[in-house]
Amino acid sequence: MDGTLPLFAGPPATHGIHWLPVLALVAGAGAAVLLLWALIRGRLPPSYGVVALVLTLSAYALASVHMLEGSKQPAFCGSCHVMTPILNSLQANDGSLASIHYARGLVPHEQACFTCHSGYGIWGGVHAKMDGVMHMVRTATGWYTLPIKLNRPFDIDSCLGCHAFAASFRAVEAHQDPDLQKQLLAHEITCTGICHPVAHPESALNGGGAPAS
Amino acid sequence: MMRLACVFALISLAALGLLIVRLDGASATVFSFIGMPALGLALLLYAVARWRAGAFSTEDTDGRRGTRA
Repeated sequence: MDGTLPLFAGPPATHGIHWLPVLALVAGAGAAVLLLWALIRGRLPPSYGVVALVLTLSAYALASVHMLEGSKQPAFCGSCHVMTPILNSLQANDGSLASIHYARGLVPHEQACFTCHSGYGIWGGVHAKMDGVMHMVRTATGWYTLPIKLNRPFDIDSCLGCHAFAASFRAVEAHQDPDLQKQLLAHEITCTGICHPVAHPESALNGGGAPAS
Repeated sequence: MMRLACVFALISLAALGLLIVRLDGASATVFSFIGMPALGLALLLYAVARWRAGAFSTEDTDGRRGTRA
């Protein structure tokens, strides 16, 4: 398969012009010109000041949306050192649950991390963004320990959102066990580790090094 | 004060430019933790400068109150 052909060059959403960053850049450039002028002259007519203010705030609003959207991409997650081995493992199809989903196209490639880690529903996305801010703080300050862990039980609804109504999932005898279902919904057990492969290999969670003894 | 506001606003726009050119964890961190506080400071300084210039004053300073009616 030739990855350079238009159909395989990327997901459908990546085709065409990305207007959000372009508009943010144009608004930001306009604001920068006015601000430089004000910096050199030491003053800015009030009407120009309002224009500079509106352009700056518009540029920031557009850039913030661009960042929120762009931060769903696996490349964004993998750009921080601690996450790079996890991204490599995901793309290497190494038999971990995440890489199986990724290799088979069971999660959108442009939002692979976000799909499973955002939790189900609109609040899942909000919580993921709030967690993302803390991820940035922890990465910037080095305030984390290896192996990295989830800071709360994995949201089982992220799995069930796709699997619960799949005939193949419902046909599995173990999934029909009421006790198992109760334990899963109570977050007492998870899908991974016992019945299914671990989500990410331990070496990747350890920053790519050897597993902690 | 206006010059200082401009400097902070330009710092925030530099962080924005970095984010647009290269969206990754580092640029997002700079945008969020340097750009946004710089923008907040710029807005605060601009508002104080405008306030000191009398922009938010409800007092009529040019003596034309009541002459339109």
